[in-house]
Amino acid sequence: MRKWEEMQERSFYESTARERAINLVDKGTFTELLAPIDKMTSPHLPILGEAVSFDDGVVTGVGKIGKRPVFVISQEGRFIGGAVGEVHGAKMVATFRLAQQSYEKIKEKYPNDYESRIPAVVISFETGGVRLHEANAGLLAHAEVMEQIQHCRGKIPVIGLVGSKVGCFGGMGFVVVATDMVIMSDRGRIGLTGPEVIEEAMGKKEFDASDKSLIYRITGGKHKYIMRDAAYLVKDTIGDFHKQVAEALKMSYDEVQSHRCIGSLKLVEEQLELVKIAAENNFKDATDVWAYFGNKKSDQIQDQFYDEFIREAKRRPRR
Amino acid sequence: MALQELNFSFKPEKNFTSFAPEWFHSGVVGSGDMEVLMEHKKQDGKVTVKVVTPVTGFDQVWEKVLAKFVAETKIGNLHMEINDNNATPFIVHMRLKQALFEAKGDVES
Repeated sequence: MRKWEEMQERSFYESTARERAINLVDKGTFTELLAPIDKMTSPHLPILGEAVSFDDGVVTGVGKIGKRPVFVISQEGRFIGGAVGEVHGAKMVATFRLAQQSYEKIKEKYPNDYESRIPAVVISFETGGVRLHEANAGLLAHAEVMEQIQHCRGKIPVIGLVGSKVGCFGGMGFVVVATDMVIMSDRGRIGLTGPEVIEEAMGKKEFDASDKSLIYRITGGKHKYIMRDAAYLVKDTIGDFHKQVAEALKMSYDEVQSHRCIGSLKLVEEQLELVKIAAENNFKDATDVWAYFGNKKSDQIQDQFYDEFIREAKRRPRR
Repeated sequence: MALQELNFSFKPEKNFTSFAPEWFHSGVVGSGDMEVLMEHKKQDGKVTVKVVTPVTGFDQVWEKVLAKFVAETKIGNLHMEINDNNATPFIVHMRLKQALFEAKGDVES
């Protein structure tokens, strides 16, 4: 394993789940829970003749950023597209539960000074959603993770990171927008139905899945940043994600919460307003939406480098 | 068709080195790739291997690749478990050597 300092410079997009998990927290602080040595493989895949993995495609553990314990969930897109099966989902849920137990213990131990020590949950998404080989368990896992995010509300910040190769699609596309804050790189993608599936169902005219530029315009980090589905856009290194998480942990809980996409009447109304704007303006492409929000050179946004984009991008105003 | 489990056991070279770490894991079970979990195990220098793979009919190829790895690296007292997903013999050999290399590096730092 390469040194922590070296890994901070490395592409987040190209890193494995374990590399991301270890290097998103402070140097030398990561402890993996249910590591490969525990050999917790899927009970369903062997019957179907599908390859298994010792971690079932997700690395879970705990580390520290500053004084704060950070519970990390990191999905591996190379193993069955990062899809969520029974063990994978159970590991995610258990990590949330541990974070809540840790929160209660810290509050008990430091009644006057617990706010600077409360834990956080950080999820590095790289997934296509439900693992179809174990679909019922996978669906249930999605619901349970959603429930855990709700349990954390008012207590523990839950931060979603998206910048890996597979992106974040399917059911986990719902889960990521239910977190308190989403941090993306411009190589990250968030969506519900994947491009190929839309094309299969609705035809090439509706969505051309071979058009990479179109896919990034609709699901990519820059679009999500302008639309405020992503609170922050960072460069594609593990270090940049690490720094942004560390910044988020310096914020008050309320400030972190202010980046939520859903979860209150006000936010639902805000989303409904967006639907209204989209319907009234008859947008044909993401570039039309960018122009609507004041980006004059909307056709050049996709080619802009990070610094230029961040400097010039006009984002959707919040109410 | 269910997953296949293959088990192998190899005698070590005469001047073998014991696998030192308690355990070491390397690799990702991607398509055409594999992961390996190496564990220190006191067994008179023997190297035992469990392979879990969806591919059938390659038992002899596995045996040859693994025997080559044991002979080349002169490693002993090692138990390996491999989760394979259609890795080619060349990839298997390379991943095993990589894992052993990384495991040694880990001990030094």
